[in-house]
Amino acid sequence: MRTIGSDILLVAEHLEGRLAPSTAELVAIGRNLATQTVGATKAALLGHAARGLAEALARFGVDVVLVEDPALAEYTGDGYREAVRALVEQTKPRLVLLAHTSQGYDLAPALAGSLDLALVTNCVGVRLDGDRLVATRRLLNEKVQADIELSSERPIVATVRPGSVPPAAEGASGSVTSVDLAPDAAKMRMKFVRLERPEVADIDLSGSDVIVSAGRGIQKRENLALVEGFAKAVGGVVGASRPLTDLEWLPKTRQVGQSGKTVRPKLYIACGISGAMQHVAGMKDAGLIIAINTDPSAPIFEVAHIGVVADVLKLLPATLKELKE
Amino acid sequence: MPLNVVVCLKQIPNPDLQFQIAPGGKDIRRDTLNYKLNASDEYALEEAVRLKEKHGGRAVALTLGPKRTEQMLREALAKGADEAVRIAYEDVATYDVGKVGRLLALAIRTMPHDLVLTGVQSDDLVNSATGGLIAGILGLPHASVVTRVEVSDGRVEAASELEGGLQRVLNLPLPALLTIQFGANTPRYAPLPAIMKAARQPIKELGPPALGLPSWDIPLPYSFGVQGLSPPAAKGHAEMIGGSIEEQAKRLAQILREKGFVRR
Repeated sequence: MRTIGSDILLVAEHLEGRLAPSTAELVAIGRNLATQTVGATKAALLGHAARGLAEALARFGVDVVLVEDPALAEYTGDGYREAVRALVEQTKPRLVLLAHTSQGYDLAPALAGSLDLALVTNCVGVRLDGDRLVATRRLLNEKVQADIELSSERPIVATVRPGSVPPAAEGASGSVTSVDLAPDAAKMRMKFVRLERPEVADIDLSGSDVIVSAGRGIQKRENLALVEGFAKAVGGVVGASRPLTDLEWLPKTRQVGQSGKTVRPKLYIACGISGAMQHVAGMKDAGLIIAINTDPSAPIFEVAHIGVVADVLKLLPATLKELKE
Repeated sequence: MPLNVVVCLKQIPNPDLQFQIAPGGKDIRRDTLNYKLNASDEYALEEAVRLKEKHGGRAVALTLGPKRTEQMLREALAKGADEAVRIAYEDVATYDVGKVGRLLALAIRTMPHDLVLTGVQSDDLVNSATGGLIAGILGLPHASVVTRVEVSDGRVEAASELEGGLQRVLNLPLPALLTIQFGANTPRYAPLPAIMKAARQPIKELGPPALGLPSWDIPLPYSFGVQGLSPPAAKGHAEMIGGSIEEQAKRLAQILREKGFVRR
């Protein structure tokens, strides 16, 4: 006997009084799937004194279930897991949707593990096919796509990679229903301590019209000078992919990507960057993307408008020479 | 207080390689692959060894996988793990992270653990799910994408990385689970004598009975299948500039001028 209904429950994400952009994407996915299940899409918003946020979320055209408790004022895995667990047990949704963000992939597997549910994460697409959920995932540095099928008599937990679908538009209106679910204090073992911000004593990449980013393909720290020279010639600043800031060749403030800055310059030149999802998430919306890489199958060429298969250490000096003529 | 640290490691195909899909379409071709320790797991291993060096106790490297993973476990021993344990589950592909998480959790339950560490994600299947699943199954408090770990008085303070470079600092009671972010520390190189010693150290193998199971076919609350693998549909591809370096440079300079990024 089925122990699930036909609803989709999505878990909203917010920080410092603002909804995460990925939440509006979940609304779009949930609405699309709910037409197939003939169920409703509901968004769980957890927080403390968060009515305003819940109303903002409802304006995306989704019914919001609001859970307010001082223990939910800041995200902790314990607080969110217990609250979502109670909602899942009460409402028995077909699918629990979260964004594949640092918070989403903290919560989703713990929820699935503690409730003994099926889990599929980091999907670029999810659809329902009869009794089954078919999730599309990208593997092995984006080089392989996998369609995974799951079926279960119980709710399935899934996370969707941010940026996979266009967000739902604002303007519609949904309801906000408060639910009283005080999380069990004995299960609140973790404490939120504080949020820390990176020190900003450097240029702000997100304010630059032109960014020339360096990746592992520049091979040596000394070669950064070449990238800097090129950036100067095109009126830009130097950014980097994660491996370079991890090596401390450039400060963390220069990192473009999911764990760094999201940028939308008019021109983005990726020099020796393969284009892992982590990086692409931070620059795919640039106006003009030029990618230079020695590997013709590098995923960066999928998001670039113009690609050059070349050694960046040779191409940049040659192009500089051309620009000076 | 001495710490018992269990660090979960995964051996993955080098993701910089090219991949082909095997006949049948359910897995990649594995005959030509070379394998390595997953990148963020290197940082988890280093963190485990540093914690036991600082607080005393033991660091145990745990993996699930076929015999070839012994090479990775020996690397872990050479880099300071006290013991290496392999769950002898021979499936080479392990697409179902739910099953992997459940088996790892069963093994960890049989081992002393004040702290369980994993890498934040494996670079082959990119689930970022194994650590959280284990925490959920074992009922451990946990934090993800951790870049800084401080243990004192039976608790751990962990800085968890969010999008945009923000860090959320959390304080958790032990036992706890942390997924360690790439770049959290500087992993050490194994000294030659340690490599020689690790080559002779025993590796503990766990079969189903050691986990209290009749077989590897554990009951799952769902059915899982790989419908098929395919090369990703190119979303669109860049307009490629071909020719010699000089020709490419000439065209690139022309584009930058035409688009107004260079004045002259």
